[in-house]
Amino acid sequence: MNNPELESILKKARLPETAEETLETLPRRVVARLDRNDPPPCPARGFAPRLAWAFGLAACAAIAFAAGHWSGRMETAATPATDSLAGAKLIREMMAMFPNQIRAIARDDGGELRLILSDTGDVPASPPLYIRISDGKHSSSFVTFSGQEIQVNGQTITVLADPRGGIILAGNQFVWSSAERTSTAGHFKIEARNLGAVAM
Amino acid sequence: MAHTAATNDESKLIEASLSGDPEAYAALVRQYQKMIRAVTFRMTGSADDAEELAQDAFLRAYLQLGSFNGRSKFSTWLCKIAINLSLDWRRRESRRGEIHSKWAAETAGNPGNGFPDELSRRVQAALDRLPPKQRAAIVLTIYENQSHDEAAKTLGCATTAVAWRVFAARNKLKRMLKDLPHEQS
Repeated sequence: MNNPELESILKKARLPETAEETLETLPRRVVARLDRNDPPPCPARGFAPRLAWAFGLAACAAIAFAAGHWSGRMETAATPATDSLAGAKLIREMMAMFPNQIRAIARDDGGELRLILSDTGDVPASPPLYIRISDGKHSSSFVTFSGQEIQVNGQTITVLADPRGGIILAGNQFVWSSAERTSTAGHFKIEARNLGAVAM
Repeated sequence: MAHTAATNDESKLIEASLSGDPEAYAALVRQYQKMIRAVTFRMTGSADDAEELAQDAFLRAYLQLGSFNGRSKFSTWLCKIAINLSLDWRRRESRRGEIHSKWAAETAGNPGNGFPDELSRRVQAALDRLPPKQRAAIVLTIYENQSHDEAAKTLGCATTAVAWRVFAARNKLKRMLKDLPHEQS
């Protein structure tokens, strides 16, 4: 069964009929429970929007300052801010849903997500690793684990993490290490982070 | 032109409700009760609980009516309240040892409980067996025709989380419903 076939079945499913009498009583019951002397609170239409913006901007400035202040200390644990793929909630949910099965969560530059699973549930528990690889034309993002292989432009790349949280990528024609503090390997531009502190 | 989601009549009813006219709000309830009942029924699998949750959703919506800003459809806004109440209900039931959930799943699977046909009964029984967040993702995207983005806003989570929930739910539903006759696409 494919997705359109499933969707067709789901949409054919009808609900039990609701009696007309029941349909008539709900509005009455809702109204009976409303306090007629107490209309719903109106939005504060008179509240100065400029004041709200000022508060908002001040809050943003404070948050940005705090984030900048702490960024040096938090660098290794920071989640790539622009990539929701690395969101701790998503990763935790996926790991809970498919324990020891996730080889990688991959996203191509079209935004399409793929879940690459092991059939046998043999993926050892380890901190998730965020990898973003770009060849100048295309980029792919992955959340994967040490010892797993990812495919980029037909090339198989093995992902390894060392005990100190460093990441090593081994392709057919290159080896890249986060310890070397360079973001390029061959024609690839690489970003890699250990998400352990974020997702575990 | 900015998208004004509420129709003129609807806007008038909302304005009148905000001014304390209960009959105006009753008219809104009449207009949307079938949709909200459908959402709460799909989420609970029980007509009684769906009825109670629909009533709670309309009461909650009344109390929050001042915060409806018209940027989304009124129906979408109502649906958000109903689905989140249903999820809260699920969490409460879950804390009570899932007795009710099991009962709902069992009754959805029993013949003669009001479903018009076998397919409808089987689909609801399958929905009842999904984890609540996956069920909510299916209800919003399949039955309420929301995009993943819209469903994410309704559920207060990332679009990718919705995508995964739909993906996982579809796989489970396919397994549970594989013996139902389906038109090959």
